[in-house]
Amino acid sequence: MEYDENGVSIVPSGFKREIFEEARKDFRYEEYVRGCLNCGVCTGGCPPHRFFDFSPRIVLQNMKSKDPELIWTMMDEYIWACFQCFTCAMICPFLNSPGGIIAVLREIAVRRGFESAKKVLKPYSRVLLKLTAYGNQLSPDMIQPDFFPDWGPHIGYAATDLAAKRKAIPMPTLQVTNLSWDVAPEAMKELYDIFDEAGVFKIIEAVDPSLYEIIQDIVDDVRSS
Amino acid sequence: MAENILVVGGGPAGLNAAVMLSELGVNVTLVERDSFIGGNPKKFKYKFLFPDMQPADNVIGELIKKTESGGNIKVYYSSEVSDFKENGKKFDATIKSAGGSETKTFDSVIVATGFEHFDPARDAKYSYQLFDDVIDIKDLERMMGENNFVRPSNGQPPKNVAFILCVGSRDRHIGNQYCSRVCCTISVKQAIELKEHFPDCEVYIFYMDIRTYGFFEDLYWQAMEEHDVQIVKGRIAEITSGPNNTVVCKGEDTLLRGPFEIPFDMVVLASGMEGGPQSPEISSKLGIELDEHGFLKPENITLSPFKSNKAGIFLAGACTGPKAISDSITEGAAAAMNAYTYAVKNR
Repeated sequence: MEYDENGVSIVPSGFKREIFEEARKDFRYEEYVRGCLNCGVCTGGCPPHRFFDFSPRIVLQNMKSKDPELIWTMMDEYIWACFQCFTCAMICPFLNSPGGIIAVLREIAVRRGFESAKKVLKPYSRVLLKLTAYGNQLSPDMIQPDFFPDWGPHIGYAATDLAAKRKAIPMPTLQVTNLSWDVAPEAMKELYDIFDEAGVFKIIEAVDPSLYEIIQDIVDDVRSS
Repeated sequence: MAENILVVGGGPAGLNAAVMLSELGVNVTLVERDSFIGGNPKKFKYKFLFPDMQPADNVIGELIKKTESGGNIKVYYSSEVSDFKENGKKFDATIKSAGGSETKTFDSVIVATGFEHFDPARDAKYSYQLFDDVIDIKDLERMMGENNFVRPSNGQPPKNVAFILCVGSRDRHIGNQYCSRVCCTISVKQAIELKEHFPDCEVYIFYMDIRTYGFFEDLYWQAMEEHDVQIVKGRIAEITSGPNNTVVCKGEDTLLRGPFEIPFDMVVLASGMEGGPQSPEISSKLGIELDEHGFLKPENITLSPFKSNKAGIFLAGACTGPKAISDSITEGAAAAMNAYTYAVKNR
């Protein structure tokens, strides 16, 4: 790795080009990046644009520039500001999908284990662990103030007396707080096969190697049961 | 023996074709679906025409007068061509009206079925019909024609007004990819009229591109330089209700300010032009081609924009695509000349 006089790492331009080429080769690229008049309707309707310095119009324009340098500048923080709500795609008069191209770029960041991807995906390691171990994405005991600051001021109350609250749900539940529902081992094995085929395990390995090891142990256990 | 020529549609193009043919001594049959002639300019009471702000009545009123006083134009009101057949090089058409059906043989035919104003309610983001103060250019034209410049919601003079261009045009979502050509100029014209009426009113125009082509550019410069109309690049993403009975336009000023949410007293949508249901109808009835935009397709868009793909059937006006009234009148004359030549050749 090369560094400049300020100690900031210099990314070789060949590598930036490689990232751009990878995005452009994606089968969705042609569908997502079409003409653009800079009308700004995407950004005008973009919810995160109200809170961050983020503009789907800039994302699309950067892609259309075919300038690897401009695209590289988005990989670190920019693409992670998107909510993936696809309002931009819904209102673009050209049928562009800035949200879609962001998904393509994010997938590259994840596949390649970029630091930005690791940082953003860290909170999801709990979810992934729960999912691979029990086939549940979220269970009541995962509702903890530290992990869901975005749930607002009542998250503290929501996290208390979970067992009692669960009993109050007027339909059959498992009456436990570490599971939402019971998943059969056959279903779990099927899920692992899907993860294998879709490259999910590879992604976990790239982004969080220690989590990958834990998950592999669980997968082996279930598969051999 | 005089030629018989059928003109379908009594707007600027059809009327001018009928008047010119009648001056040549042709027996003209004019089929008009409405109970009046004059087309959309009459129907929606256009008041002043760009670029010179002359009263629409100078143009439309004049054409109507000539049509009605021309001895050899037979106008069928509230009528339609119910049946159409080729008869050698001539055409047999049945005209259905309140007075019953009548079949005649014509030497040639001019189709001038015109356009429809895009209905902005089809694009939900503009909240047309949801808020009283969101209107479109045809509504404002009619209002100003009735000397009514105030807000529909409360009858008060507006303190600020936004014009939004390209409503129903250049948008794949609503299915119209083309530019409607005249809405930019109409909006600029109306912005000037509003400023002349309320000099203190702030007027904004939100655009993607301003297409005041040719000499219409004069109006655009005039709006900026003499009337201080604010021209902002950015399409409006959403119109919502705001404080104090306002409507909020949300968008991005892509050149200067970035994101904005501005409350307006009144919003005017520059809705575009569409081929309307009449274009596919007349296309299938007469066996002439429809284009991919929903308008009638000329045989050769550059060499013979007034000819259909079928010999003896000619096209004029906005039925072949969005255009200004002056262009429609020119095409009416061109189609008349061609329809007359065809009729004389096949006498």
